[in-house]
Amino acid sequence: MSGRRILGRDLSVLAVLAVIALALPAWVNEFGVSMALTCLMYVALSSSWSLFCGATRYLSLATSAFFGIGAYAGALTLGELPWLAAIALGAGAAAALAVVMGSAVLHLRGTYFAVLTFGMTELIRHAVTFAEKQIAGTVGRVLVFVPEPGTVYLTVLALAVLAVVTSIAVRRSRLGLALAGIGGDELRAQTLGVDTRRAKVIGFAISAAFAGAVGAAMSVRWTYIDPATVFNPFIGFQTVLIALIGGAATLWGPLVAAIVFSVLAEALRLQLPQLYMMALGLLLILSVLYLPGGLASLRPGILIGWRDALLARRPARRAGAGKVRDA
Amino acid sequence: MGTALLEARSVTVRFGGLTAVDGISARFAAGELVGIIGPNGAGKTTFFNVLSGVLPPTSGRLLVAGDDLTGARPHRYAHHGIARTFQTPRVFAELTVAANIGFGLQFAGRGRAAAPGLADAAGILEVIGLSAHAAQPAAAITPSQQRLLEIGMALATRPRLLLLDEVAAGLTEGEVEHMARLIRGLRDDLALTVIWIEHAVTTLLRHVERVLVLHQGCKIADAAPAEVVRDARVIEAYLGDEMAQGTS
Repeated sequence: MSGRRILGRDLSVLAVLAVIALALPAWVNEFGVSMALTCLMYVALSSSWSLFCGATRYLSLATSAFFGIGAYAGALTLGELPWLAAIALGAGAAAALAVVMGSAVLHLRGTYFAVLTFGMTELIRHAVTFAEKQIAGTVGRVLVFVPEPGTVYLTVLALAVLAVVTSIAVRRSRLGLALAGIGGDELRAQTLGVDTRRAKVIGFAISAAFAGAVGAAMSVRWTYIDPATVFNPFIGFQTVLIALIGGAATLWGPLVAAIVFSVLAEALRLQLPQLYMMALGLLLILSVLYLPGGLASLRPGILIGWRDALLARRPARRAGAGKVRDA
Repeated sequence: MGTALLEARSVTVRFGGLTAVDGISARFAAGELVGIIGPNGAGKTTFFNVLSGVLPPTSGRLLVAGDDLTGARPHRYAHHGIARTFQTPRVFAELTVAANIGFGLQFAGRGRAAAPGLADAAGILEVIGLSAHAAQPAAAITPSQQRLLEIGMALATRPRLLLLDEVAAGLTEGEVEHMARLIRGLRDDLALTVIWIEHAVTTLLRHVERVLVLHQGCKIADAAPAEVVRDARVIEAYLGDEMAQGTS
């Protein structure tokens, strides 16, 4: 398929999904809308996470930091600023944080990068808690100016669509090629002329801007926010898990996984919250071990390969046992 | 004395207590075809890493066409027309052969004047002889084809100077000759400057006009091949009896 036809297909699929999401509130009850909102939030988070981390294979655990900074930036300004300006401010604050954080840690790879992004997220959470207690003399913030629930839904839907559209656009751009080159062989990309430091900081900031905007939009749902809620590490972990299980290098993997797992999470949370986390953890282990490209890389050929491997194992074991006896 | 295309001034690289490159100075003029030889651990690849900006020298300076690039990051060297290959091919395994070439064209090659025949991926694939494999993933071609692809990726950056690190290693005799002809052609037809490291000394000496001999991080000779093979220090350090017999 040519590039143009793939683009056409991707945009049509996205448009159909967006129309379905747009029509959903008219058809389902309040619980359904809340579930759909969670889906859209994770579509936006995991698609934008994959935009940078999937291409470059830099595992960032800082999503919670960007989400929390966005939530705080939105919550603090919502009284003075119009709704969309507050969202934009959340995005801007998160992107600025990403530029600072990225400049400090994006020269590290692998575990060091992952651990440091997580450490910095914790540092920011505790710093905000400290500021609340010592400087402002509060524990959290009560949100007085809250928009209509419908506005929040539409905003998060728009952010989710924008995250996927941005992913499509970045993949087709020189920035996307640079990020893929960094993921493939960073030094080779550099010797072919890529300013890898710049590309990484820009990619990291774009991905953070979405997390910040989603944080700003979602904060109003709680009506009261404190650092423990908006910097909740669970949001970051769940984003990473969804993207990895879905296939972070693909466009649709994170989106499909976000919908499946958000529905699963909401459905299981009331009755069996531990079961959901166990299922997610188990799936992550299985996908890392047997399906490193995520569920999006699942093809009939892989299933046949697994079946053959399973069938081949039994006679091999018997033959191995025979050998031991012969010896 | 005119400005050299690439000049190293007293370049030294230390790794902890080990001095891998010890005060090497060298000048490379436009259009030269220069070889670098030396026994294992002589510092050849480390010196190459310095020349391509991959490794900043501990001390010393690097000038590209008169611009001081000491300590600059590798992409700046690429934008100044210094291209390199790696000893172990470092191609983008998941991209197609054509897309690997396209990568260089998109970055360092962008906005630089192209030599005739190297303007696009198709032309470069033609030069390196991989046109038939354009649509294959780079992981699927043979290691010797990957070495050619490495050269193609370097050419895509539209370089003035090409640093080739053991591109003939592990090739059959016929493939080595083909590679040598390709390299000579790049210099003769495209007026590229080529610096070529090779372990197979005899092949290299047949094709280059000047050769630098490194030994324990130092430059012990810098002359025409015919002169170098008679140099007592070179024979002692590296070439040994094998070469003395070969030329007698």
